[in-house]
Amino acid sequence: MGRAIVITSGKGGVGKTTAAANLGSALAQLGKSVVLVDADIGLRNLDVVMGLENRIVYHVVDVVRGKCTPAKALIKDRRMDNLWLLPASQTDDKDALTPADMAKLVCELKSNHDFVIIDCPAGIEQGFKNAIAGADEAIVVATPEVSSIRDADRVIGLLAASDIPARLIVNRISPHLVKRGDMLSQADVIEILALELLGTVPLDEHIVATTNKGVPAVIENKSLAAKEFTRISRRLAGLDLEAADTAPGFFARLGRALGLSPAPTT
Amino acid sequence: MWNGIKTLLSGGRSSREVAKGRLHLVLAHDRSGLEGGKLQAMREEIAAVIAKYVPIDSEAVEISIESHSRETQLTVSSPLPARHA
Repeated sequence: MGRAIVITSGKGGVGKTTAAANLGSALAQLGKSVVLVDADIGLRNLDVVMGLENRIVYHVVDVVRGKCTPAKALIKDRRMDNLWLLPASQTDDKDALTPADMAKLVCELKSNHDFVIIDCPAGIEQGFKNAIAGADEAIVVATPEVSSIRDADRVIGLLAASDIPARLIVNRISPHLVKRGDMLSQADVIEILALELLGTVPLDEHIVATTNKGVPAVIENKSLAAKEFTRISRRLAGLDLEAADTAPGFFARLGRALGLSPAPTT
Repeated sequence: MWNGIKTLLSGGRSSREVAKGRLHLVLAHDRSGLEGGKLQAMREEIAAVIAKYVPIDSEAVEISIESHSRETQLTVSSPLPARHA
C-alpha cells in the first residue's frame, strides 16, 4: 500500500503545482511508482506543467462517474518508467466530486503505486476538502510573504483538525533579499508556522524556463531548485533521514554551490 | 546606503522584522477565531465585571491575544486604583 500526500497552501500561485510535478518526477527517478493527481477541478494545470496536456482522454471526474477505470484514465509519462498523471476535468466544477469519491479513488490508486501525490486547488472550500480527503499526509507550500504565511497557517489548522500530519516547504526564498533584511528567512517562517520543515527551495529562474517547456526541472536537474526538490523527495522516500533543519544551512549549501565557501570535508 | 535610510525611516526595523511582528499578531487573532468586534464586546463585558468589585476606569482595560508555537493565549489587563483607606 502506497502513501497519499496532498500538496496544499491556501494561497494560490505559491508553487503547489510546480512542487507536485517536481516531487512526483523526482520520486519516480528514485524508482518509486508515482501517480500525480490534479485535484483542481475546473482549473487544471498539472498537465501543462508536466507537458502532458496533449495526451488527455479521460479525467478524474470520468473515473469517479464510472465512465472509465482509473487505469484507463492514467497518462503514462514516457520520460520515466513509473510516473503517471490523473488529470482534472476542465469543464466541471468543484462540486462534481465529493470527499468520499476522492478518498475511494486515492485508496484504489495507493494499492497499485508507492506514492499518490495530490495537487490541491487554492482556497479552503470544497476543492480543498476533496483534495485532502484521501491523504495520509500533507505538504504545505509557503513563500516567505505575509499573505502566503497567513493562508498557510489557516490550512495547517484545518489539516490538524482532520488529523493529517503536515510538513513544510518554504518556496522561492531569495538569499539576497533575506540578507538585506527584506525577506523572511527560513527560520522565521518555521518559527511563525511551528511546523516541521521538509525543505527550502530557492527562487530560481530555471523554474520559469522548465515550466515554459513542460519539463519538470528535476528531469534536467541543472538548477538549484531542482536539486532541492530532489533532496526533498529523498527525504519523503525515507532515503535521506537527516532532519531538514539540522542539515547544512541553506546559505552554506548555496555558498558551496556558488563556490563561495569550501565543501564539507566529510 | 539606501537600505540604511529605509531602516532609519521604519524606526530601525528591517521590513523582515516588521513582517514577522505583523504576522505574529495577525496569526494570533486568526488562530483564536475571534473577530475584532467580538473581542471588543468581550473586553467591555469583562471590564463591567471588574467594575462591579473595584472602581476602575473601564476604558483602561486592555485585551490582547498572543500565539507561540500554535498555543494561543488571551490576556486581559486592568490597572487597579490605589486603596485610600
